[in-house]
Amino acid sequence: MPPLVDVLLATLPVFLAAFALLDRHLVRACSLFVLFALVVALNWWQLGFIWLALLETLLGAALTGAFLFHALGIGPARRAPPVRRSHGQDPLPLTWRRGLVHLMPVLALLGMLAAALASLPASDTSPAARWSGLVLVGLGLWVFNLKAHLLRRLLAFNITGTGIFLLLMTLVGEAGTAAGQALVITGLVVAWLGTVLGALLIRRLGALATHHESTLINDGQAS
Amino acid sequence: MSQAWLPLITLATSLLVAPLILLLPERAWRARAVLNLSAALLKLLLVGLMVVGLYQGREFAFGFTVVPGVEFLLRVDALGMMFAGLSSLLWLATTVYAIGYLEDSPNRKRFFAFFSLCVASTTGIALAGNFFTFLLFYELLTLSTYPLVVHRGHSAALAAGTVYLRYTLSGGLVLLLGVVALHALVGDITFGEREMLRDLGPEYHSLLIGLFLVLLLGLGVKAALVPLHGWLPRAMVAPAPVSALLHAVAVVKAGAFGIVRLVYDVYGIQLTFELGLLTLLTALSVFTILYASLRALAQQELKPRLAFSTISQVSYIVLGISLFGPFGTIAGLAHLMHQGLMKVTLFYCAGNYAEELGIHRIDELDGAGRRMPLTSLAFTVGALGMIGLPPVAGFISKWYLGIGAVQAGMSWVIAVLVASSLLNAAYFLPILHRLWFRAGPEHGKGQWPEERHLGRFETSSWLLWPTLATALFSLLAGLLAGLPFSPLDLATLVATEEYLP
Amino acid sequence: MIERLGLVTTQLPTATSSAMVLLAVVMPVLLGVLGGAWRPLRGWPGLALALIPLLALLWLVQQIAVHGTQAWVLELGSLTLHWRANGLTLLLLLLTQWLVLASAVYTPAYLRVAEQALGRGAVWLWPLMGLLATSLSLIWMAADLLTLYIGLELMGLTAVGLILLPGREEALAAGMRYLLLALIGSLAFLLGVALLLGSWERLDLAGLAVVVEPSPVLWVAMALLSAGLLLKAAAFPLHAWLVPVHGSAWTPVSALHAALVIKASFFIALQLWLVLAPQAAAAAWLVGGMGAAAVVWGGLLAWRADKLKDVVAWSTVSQLGYLLIGFPLLIGTSTAVASIAWAGVWLQLLAHSLAKAAMFLAVGNLMLATGESRVSGLAGASRRFPLSLLSFGIAAISLVGLPPSAGFTAKWLLLHASLAAGQWPWLVVLAVGTLLSAAYVFRVFRYSFVEDVEREDYRPVPLRMDLVALALALASLILGLTATWPLALLAIAGGTP
Repeated sequence: MPPLVDVLLATLPVFLAAFALLDRHLVRACSLFVLFALVVALNWWQLGFIWLALLETLLGAALTGAFLFHALGIGPARRAPPVRRSHGQDPLPLTWRRGLVHLMPVLALLGMLAAALASLPASDTSPAARWSGLVLVGLGLWVFNLKAHLLRRLLAFNITGTGIFLLLMTLVGEAGTAAGQALVITGLVVAWLGTVLGALLIRRLGALATHHESTLINDGQAS
Repeated sequence: MSQAWLPLITLATSLLVAPLILLLPERAWRARAVLNLSAALLKLLLVGLMVVGLYQGREFAFGFTVVPGVEFLLRVDALGMMFAGLSSLLWLATTVYAIGYLEDSPNRKRFFAFFSLCVASTTGIALAGNFFTFLLFYELLTLSTYPLVVHRGHSAALAAGTVYLRYTLSGGLVLLLGVVALHALVGDITFGEREMLRDLGPEYHSLLIGLFLVLLLGLGVKAALVPLHGWLPRAMVAPAPVSALLHAVAVVKAGAFGIVRLVYDVYGIQLTFELGLLTLLTALSVFTILYASLRALAQQELKPRLAFSTISQVSYIVLGISLFGPFGTIAGLAHLMHQGLMKVTLFYCAGNYAEELGIHRIDELDGAGRRMPLTSLAFTVGALGMIGLPPVAGFISKWYLGIGAVQAGMSWVIAVLVASSLLNAAYFLPILHRLWFRAGPEHGKGQWPEERHLGRFETSSWLLWPTLATALFSLLAGLLAGLPFSPLDLATLVATEEYLP
Repeated sequence: MIERLGLVTTQLPTATSSAMVLLAVVMPVLLGVLGGAWRPLRGWPGLALALIPLLALLWLVQQIAVHGTQAWVLELGSLTLHWRANGLTLLLLLLTQWLVLASAVYTPAYLRVAEQALGRGAVWLWPLMGLLATSLSLIWMAADLLTLYIGLELMGLTAVGLILLPGREEALAAGMRYLLLALIGSLAFLLGVALLLGSWERLDLAGLAVVVEPSPVLWVAMALLSAGLLLKAAAFPLHAWLVPVHGSAWTPVSALHAALVIKASFFIALQLWLVLAPQAAAAAWLVGGMGAAAVVWGGLLAWRADKLKDVVAWSTVSQLGYLLIGFPLLIGTSTAVASIAWAGVWLQLLAHSLAKAAMFLAVGNLMLATGESRVSGLAGASRRFPLSLLSFGIAAISLVGLPPSAGFTAKWLLLHASLAAGQWPWLVVLAVGTLLSAAYVFRVFRYSFVEDVEREDYRPVPLRMDLVALALALASLILGLTATWPLALLAIAGGTP
């Protein structure tokens, strides 16, 4: 029976991630994501990976969050007007049928993973973190699959990534810790860079789309 | 040392000319003509050197390893020299002809570059010392002839080019599969090392039969064996020198030559006979000869009629080698050269009529003998040779074929020969009759479709001299068949190599 | 098999060869940054400078040919990284440098002609190109999963950046899609690595090859690794992102991407299979089947494609299928078969990289010259742009696999290997692929030979651009008959000093 703190720390990210992914309001979703990243950083702390905790706070929470908000047109430097209003609101295209259909492949993958994990020795320090990692992977992939708003997919990608990092660090034993940390650090940097690129792209695509609309309207008025 | 390089230099004469021509500007036609002609002459000289060397029993070979187990090999043997001699001789003639034919037409640079590449491939096929090298040049030939077939760039030419590619690329692919399979079976297949397959033992015989059929399918496309002949009549849209070359030396002959190589130098005539494959070849060639002759009868235009005639005549080569015995072999090989000379003459003539008078259909030829006597004379020589009348070269082929058939115990083949000669006569004699004995525009009856006066003589001398030269050669090949270095003599040399161990 | 990959090399490097490797790996980035700062308007400064890493590599080739393969072990605290240089590595490094060099020469003229206004994109082009070369070099040299992961990610992000440079909407949309898929691919890769690390506690390939044993963990890990890599390699049916990416990117970028980036993922995948599951014949057949489907599907769509660049891009999908057929020929087969297939696969990779880069550059030239992006816009091109069309043609010969090109020799080897292995289906696939590629290539030619069009608004491209394309195409042609050179280099496998 793992201690209560462990269980709490392991379940909290899952709930935060679920809320971040399902919230119809994108600004709120992004805020929830930052919170999620902070809790994950706490998890790293709890597992004894101080460096990872620091990096998660810096890259995962602060910088990723900043760029996510940038994609929404919210930032300290308001050069351009916020992107289309509709970007703020983004109901997931979620029906029971759709949700279930897209859940199938994810469940298949999770089943495969679980089968593989079952044959590995159980983690003695952090079984809860392993399970929460697994659930995060599944959750992220499921929402990614739903072909939602681009920003939502970026969030889903980040959450899947975090799930994998958690899994990875609970899998490695003593001998592999250094290698595991190196992998996670690379992964964190890559995820952050990917988010930066994605956020900039979303912003640019949005600007191009509004530009198109306005030229269309102008053309309409001219003729 | 120089001996090893001789085949390579021979190949290079036309291979290197192609990029040089591409570098010359389009309007530098004089420089191009000089380049082309000097390369053609040089090649003829080099081939002559090699033929003489061959008679003296010298060896010429050049090779290097491409990948482990696969060799690029150029080697001179009597059979290859026959083909190389034919192609270099006709290249010279056709180059002269093409310079005249394409005067003032666009894209000449491209034409001559690919033309050289085409001859380089043919030379490569002739000099190839193993199946890999043969395949290499066989495919290169497809590539280099495509731009020539579509040269005119109108929709008929493009459509014909597509059909051409469809046939030849598929054929090449099938051949590739067959060659790779043989390679996987016995390793590098050097021409002339016939023991390799013979020593395999009877348990491999069904596999060998299968492979032979695959290879025959690949080669039969270019040799235009019925039912793989569909591309040839369509390819007639190409300019006359191209058709002449395609029919007389390059493509069709490459296929026929490949079949000869396959039977004599890969499987060996003994093994082919034992596997019962010669009968198949006989049947196939007899069918092709008769079918194509019948189709030729039905053609109303000159070039398609000549095309079907080619299909029929090339099969004489296959028929010759399928008759198990030295005379059949001699007939087949000699016909390889004879048919080339005669057919190229006929195509030159067709080109001359088209250029000078705008004639494409046979019924427009009435009385052309009076307007263009020399061309018509050349045409007559070619046509009579095709029918097989002495003293033109075609007679020699048919005579030896007959003897070969008797020798092989297949006298019924003589009936086929007679039938085919009658058919040949039936589609050539009416043309000759029209040329010489019907009244036409020159007698004040009607007018030529599109008359031009291209030169001092009856047509441009660039067009006329090659026509007369090849006509003369086909006559001489028949008259002087007994002399050394004649096609018949070379064929006999090959046949003795094959039958006398 | 693992000896062929040079993983069992133990010979430690000399100081000079380490310096040379460092030069070859790091120099491109430095040059890239320099290029970004100065933005050269001509090709020759880039050419002169980019020759330095190439010369360093040639020195290394000579060194390794004499003294055998070398391995580097980098200790960073408790972390060890493994690099190695054997014949295959050097071959791929040479290919990379050669292609990057060619694009560096091509790019200034291209930017001047194609993008009249040198936008902000051009500033980033040079550093990103340098970074791409470096990350590729890292991938070829890596002998442990961590370095591979770093290299793969660096390459993926750089590639996305390069694709985005034109800044047009379709480029951005294609780039976004590519980014998301690439990221997902990396996650799958990372998850696979995590499983391997969790079970066997190590990441160096040579060590893993010894300790791994068939188990569910291994299968799941392999499935994840392969899925991630094949997604990045645009293997059928994970190829849908490729065509829009190639269609909208700048021409030299498309060339590099098709020639190298995709190959890197393939290389990693093949290497991992050979190391971790050298006997998994059934799974390899599955990959081979994907390759077969790619050959046919890619070929068909290339044939139907309307735009020139799409033809070339679909042809990449199709040609990658040939490489995937290498899996069943190399895995679980006898040594005799595997050694033929080994030569065939790498020669095919070489041939395709050179020919595809040449073809992209040639197509780019044709598109600039005619101002048309559609195949039918080429009417009459054979008279007006013979040089571009010649490059296209020579590259096409190699793609179709007609003699005497390297594509032909590679196909010969692959055919031979499938016959020797008795794996008949691949014979059919190679044959169908040949016919389909001939069909789509000659469709382009057919248009170029059309004569009855009169259009005058052509703007010929600078000769240099044509010459670069021609040089690459000729390289892919000449390697056909001189295949002994790359194969001799490939034979320096390592294992015994």
